[in-house]
Amino acid sequence: MAHTFPRRHLLTAAMAATGGAVLPATLSGPAQAQARKILVIASNQDIPSFDPHVASGYSSAALLRNVYDSLVRVEGNPVRVLPHLASSWTVSPDGMEYVFKLNPAAKFADGTPVDAAAVRYSFSRLLRLGKGNSWMVAGLIDDNSVTAVDATTVRIKLVKPFAAFLQVLPWQWIVNPKLVEANKGADDAQTYLRGTIAGSAAFRIKRAEPGNLYEFERVANHWRTGGGNLTGAIWRIVRETSSQRLALQRGEAHIAVDLTSEDMVALKDKPGVKLVIEPEFRTFSIKMNTEFGPLKDINLRKAISYAFNYQAMRDTAGFADLMVGPLPNGILGHDPKLAVYRTNLAKAKEYLAKSEAAKGGLKLSMVYVSGLEQERQFGLVLLDSLKQIGIELDIKAMVWPDIVASAKTPASTADFYPVYQTANYGDPDNIAYAAYHSSRNGGWQNPVYHSAKVDALIERGRAESNEAKRKAIYQEFQQVVVDDAPDIFGVLEKRRLALRSDVRGFVFTPVAANAIELFGLSLG
Amino acid sequence: MIVPVLLGLSLLVFAISHLLPGDPVALAAGPQATKTEIAALAHELGTDQPLPVQYWSYLTGLLSGDWGQSVLTRRPVLADLRIYLPATLELVVAAMALAIVIGIPAGLLSAVFVDRWPDYLSRILSLGAISMPRFFLGLLLQLGFAMQLGWLPLNGRYPIIEDPPPFVTGFLSLDALLAGDPDAVWLALTHLALPAIAMSLSPLATITRMMRSATIEVLQQDYVLTERALGLSRWLIIFKYVAKNAMSSSLTVIGLYVGWLLGGSVLVETVFDWPGIGLYATKAIVTQDFMPVMGVTLAIGVVFVLVNLVIDLLYGVLNPKVRLG
Amino acid sequence: MSGARWLNLRRGFYRFRRSWLSMVGLVIVAALVLVALVGPALVPHPEHVAGGINTTARFLTPSASAWFGTNELGQDVFSLTIAGSRVSLLAGISVVVLAAGFGTLVGAVAGYYGGWLDEALMRFTDLMLTLPSLILAMAVAAAMGPGLGNTVFAIALSWWPGFARLVRGEVMAKKADTFVIAARALGAGTPRILGRHILPNIASPIIIKMSLDMGFAILTVASLGFVGIGVKPPTPEWGSLLSTARGYLPDYWWTAIFPGSAIFLAVFGFNLLGDGLRDVLDPRARR
Repeated sequence: MAHTFPRRHLLTAAMAATGGAVLPATLSGPAQAQARKILVIASNQDIPSFDPHVASGYSSAALLRNVYDSLVRVEGNPVRVLPHLASSWTVSPDGMEYVFKLNPAAKFADGTPVDAAAVRYSFSRLLRLGKGNSWMVAGLIDDNSVTAVDATTVRIKLVKPFAAFLQVLPWQWIVNPKLVEANKGADDAQTYLRGTIAGSAAFRIKRAEPGNLYEFERVANHWRTGGGNLTGAIWRIVRETSSQRLALQRGEAHIAVDLTSEDMVALKDKPGVKLVIEPEFRTFSIKMNTEFGPLKDINLRKAISYAFNYQAMRDTAGFADLMVGPLPNGILGHDPKLAVYRTNLAKAKEYLAKSEAAKGGLKLSMVYVSGLEQERQFGLVLLDSLKQIGIELDIKAMVWPDIVASAKTPASTADFYPVYQTANYGDPDNIAYAAYHSSRNGGWQNPVYHSAKVDALIERGRAESNEAKRKAIYQEFQQVVVDDAPDIFGVLEKRRLALRSDVRGFVFTPVAANAIELFGLSLG
Repeated sequence: MIVPVLLGLSLLVFAISHLLPGDPVALAAGPQATKTEIAALAHELGTDQPLPVQYWSYLTGLLSGDWGQSVLTRRPVLADLRIYLPATLELVVAAMALAIVIGIPAGLLSAVFVDRWPDYLSRILSLGAISMPRFFLGLLLQLGFAMQLGWLPLNGRYPIIEDPPPFVTGFLSLDALLAGDPDAVWLALTHLALPAIAMSLSPLATITRMMRSATIEVLQQDYVLTERALGLSRWLIIFKYVAKNAMSSSLTVIGLYVGWLLGGSVLVETVFDWPGIGLYATKAIVTQDFMPVMGVTLAIGVVFVLVNLVIDLLYGVLNPKVRLG
Repeated sequence: MSGARWLNLRRGFYRFRRSWLSMVGLVIVAALVLVALVGPALVPHPEHVAGGINTTARFLTPSASAWFGTNELGQDVFSLTIAGSRVSLLAGISVVVLAAGFGTLVGAVAGYYGGWLDEALMRFTDLMLTLPSLILAMAVAAAMGPGLGNTVFAIALSWWPGFARLVRGEVMAKKADTFVIAARALGAGTPRILGRHILPNIASPIIIKMSLDMGFAILTVASLGFVGIGVKPPTPEWGSLLSTARGYLPDYWWTAIFPGSAIFLAVFGFNLLGDGLRDVLDPRARR
C-alpha cells in the first residue's frame, strides 16, 4: 500500500507500554489484507439489487457475473464466446436450435449440481418476471424453448431466428431452484434474491453496505479450476472520479472504472499504475425529435448535422473517436467509408434556407442527465454550434426518471435527447435494434424515431445467419439512417480503466468492460 | 407536545412529497418495463391508492416501526436510517465538540481583550468562519491535507480494506472503543477530522460571539466591578461568573444548530463521500424516491425535537428561574 | 420621523463609520453590486458567459491573458466568475424579498387578527421551521427542474417562517399603540391600518433581517448549485462552477479556487454589512 499514516507505529508503541493487551487486533489490517489478496474496485455506481433476473445496469452486472454463472462467457478482443457452465455446444444449421452440454462438476454453493433442470428453471423465471436482462431474449425464446434433455444436456429452440444468440447468453444467470423454491413467497422469491445469492460462482457476498461497499469472498474448494489468486474483492462506491483516481494513485484501490480523460492524462506517468484505453461498442448520439416540433423537418435536421462542431466534441470527450454513422466503428457490418455529416457551415446554411427556421428566432430544447458532466459538455458544444446558424438552445439538466418519463410521447420529448448506448453483446443488432427500431418508441433508447424501411432492415439483419448477407443488410441500414439524419452521430468514448500494476491476469473485453470479472485476476 | 409536532410534520412531509411532480414507480420498474408492469408495481407499492389512504397507512406504519421502503432499492427506510443516521450524528457531535472546545476560550479571550487585537482577530475569524461555505472549506482541506500533504485520508469513514469494528452504536469511533481496538479508534478519528472541521465552522463562530458578548456583560456588572475593587484577581472573577455562561451558550448553540447541521450535512457528506443521511437523501431526491426523503426529514425532526426537549430541561437545572417563566 | 429617532440613526451611522469591519463589508458589497451591474459587459470573453466554448484552449493555467485560467471547455474562468456575481446577487435578493413578502403577510395577519387564525398560522410556521430547509429546498428544486427561478422559489419556500415569526411579534406589540387605536376609532379599515400605520413602523427590524439574511441566501443558492440541483447551463452560477471544477482537482485547481472564493467574499461582505446595519438601526442589539 503506497500510503500509510504514522499512527500505527505510534499506537503500537503506546500499546507495548500498556502490555499489549489488544495485540490480536493490531495484527489484522494491512498485513493480513495482503495475505488475503483483496482487490478493491472503485466505482461510482451503487448496486441496487442482487436478483439475477431483476437487476440491470453495469454495477449489477459486475456483481452478478462474479456470484452467478451463465451457460457461456465472453472474453477477449475481438470477443470470443467461451465455455462456462456449458462445456460444449452445437448449433443446428438453420441457427434455430442450440444444444448445450453442461459441465458435470458444476455445483451450487450448497452442493446441489447445476443441472439442466436448473437452467430451464432460471430461463423460465427470467421470462416470467420480464425484468432485468429479459429484454435481450424477449421474443426469441418462450417458456417451451428450453428443455432438459437429460441431467447435463439442455436444448434451446428459438422462436425466431437470432444471429447473436450466443452473445446474449453470458448475461442470463442460472439460479439454484432449490433455494428459490424454498423462499418463493408471494413474489417469486424477489424479496429473497434481492439480498441473497443463490448461485454457483467462485465468489459470494461477504458484506453489503448499500451506497458504500460490497465485499466478495472466494468460495473454498470451488468446482471451477484455475483462475487467479484473489481471496476476495471489494466494490467500493467512490462518487467523484477525481477521488477514484487519487485512491488508485495512493494504492487504496486496485482498479478504477469511471475515470475521465483528464484523470487518465493525470495518471499517465504515475508509478505503479497501468492504464487501459481501448475502443468499445458504446455509442453517444444526440437524438433529434423527428416526430414533434421544428426538428420534424429533415432539412433543419441536416442543417444542424452540418453545423455541429464535431471537432469540439472530440476535444472534450478526450479519448474518443467520432462515430461514422449509426453503428459503432469496428462492429460487424460497419462501413468506415460511409459518407456522414461533418462540420460545414456553408452546407448548414444551405439546408437551413430550405427550412422553416430560415426566418430565424428559433429556440430549441435539450435535456441531459443531471450530474453527467460529459453530457453537459456535449450540450454546450451543441449550444455553441447552433449559435453559428442563429438558433438558440435551452439546456436542461433532468433527473434520469424524468428523462425516461419524458420519452413516453413525442410531444413531451425534448428537441434534442442525448443517449449513451452500451452494447451488451458485440453485434450490430444490439445498437440497431435498441436505438432505431420503432418497437422501442416511447422508451429512453429510441423515444420517437420510426421508419418502416429501417424496421424491415433491422428485422432482416437479425434473422439472417449468413455473414456476408448480414453485412450487406447493415450496409444499407447505415445509409438509410444517415439519409434520414435522426441523430447527431456523436462519439465512441474509449473505455478508460486504470489498474495498479500488481493486478495480473486482466483481459480487456469490449463489452461491459467496467463490470470487472474477478475469477482470472491475481494480486502481487 | 412532541406527538402533535411529529404528527404535523409527517402530514406536511407527506403532502409536500406528493405535491411534487415525477414518476418514481416508472423508474423503479426499469427502462424496459411496459405499462402493465408499471401498473403492477404501483399496485404492489400501494401508490395507486387514494392519497388519504396512503397517508393513513404511512402513519400507522410509522407507529409500528415500518417507515416504508425505497422504491429503488426496496430496502426498508428504517433499516437504512439505522446505518446512515449514526454516521451523520457522529459527524455532527464531533463538529459540535470542536466548536465548543475552541469557541469558548476564543470568545472568552475576545471579551477579556475587548477592542484590542485578540478581539479583532477572533471577531474577523468568526465572521469569516460563518461566511465560509462548508463545501468550499471541505474542498480546500482535502486539497491541502489529503491531496498535497497526504496527512489525512481523502474521504470515507474507514479504510475499506479493513473490517470496521462490530456495529453497536453506529458511531465508528465509539464502536472501535467498545471493541477495545485503539488502532481502529485512531483510524476512525483520522477519517472524521476533516469533515468535522468543515462542519464545525458555523457553530464555532456563533459560540465565540455568544461567549464574547455574555462575558462582556458580566464584566460590566456592578458586583463584578465591586469584587474587582475588593482586589479579587480578574481571571478568578471571570472563571467564577463565566462557567455558567459557557454552559448555557453551549446549550443554546447545540439547540440552534443540531437541526441545521443534520439538514445541511449533505454539503459536507458530498465532499467527503461520508455515507450519512445527507448523501442518502440526495440520492433519493435525485431519483424522486419519496419514502427515504420523508424518512430522513422525519428522523431529523425527531432528533431536533428531542434534543431541544433535553436542552430545555437542562436550562431549567442550570437556571431555576426559567421554570417559573 | 421624530427627533429622537433621527438622533438615534445619526448616532448609529457614526458608529457604523467608526466600525471598520462594517466599512469593509460596505466596500465589498458595493464592489459586488458594481461588478454585478457593469461587470458582465466588461469581461474579456462575454461570449463564454453566454455559453461559447473554445476547445483548443482547455485548462490553461492562470496567466496575463487569462487571469483565472480556462476551464474544461476552454472558457475564461475570470469572465465566468465575474458574470456569476450578477446571478448570485439577483438570486439572493429574490429569495430574501420573496421570503420577506410572504412571511410579512403571514405574520401580519396572524399578529393582527390573533385567535384561532394566529394559532393555526403559527403552528404551521413552527412546523415549517422544524423541517430541514436545505433538504426541502433540494427536493422542491429537483422536482420542479433546474433554473434560477425554480431554485429561488424552492429556497424562499423554506425561508419565510423566520420573517413570519418576527413580523407577528412586532405587529402584536404595535397593535395596542395609541396611534393604531386612534386610527381604528376614526374608522380606518384593517388593510389601511396594517399598511399605513403598523407596517411602516416595523420596517426596520424587517430590513435588518433582510440584510442579515442576504449572505446566507447567496450561500444557499450556491449550495444547491454545488449539490447539482440548481441553474441551467450555461448560466455561470458560482456553486455549479465549483461543483464542476471539483472533478478536476487537484491538477486544475484554478477552476475551483476562484468561484469558491467569490462565494466566500460575497457572503462575508453581506455578513459584515448586515452586522453593521443592525448596530445602526437597532441600538438595543448592540453589545
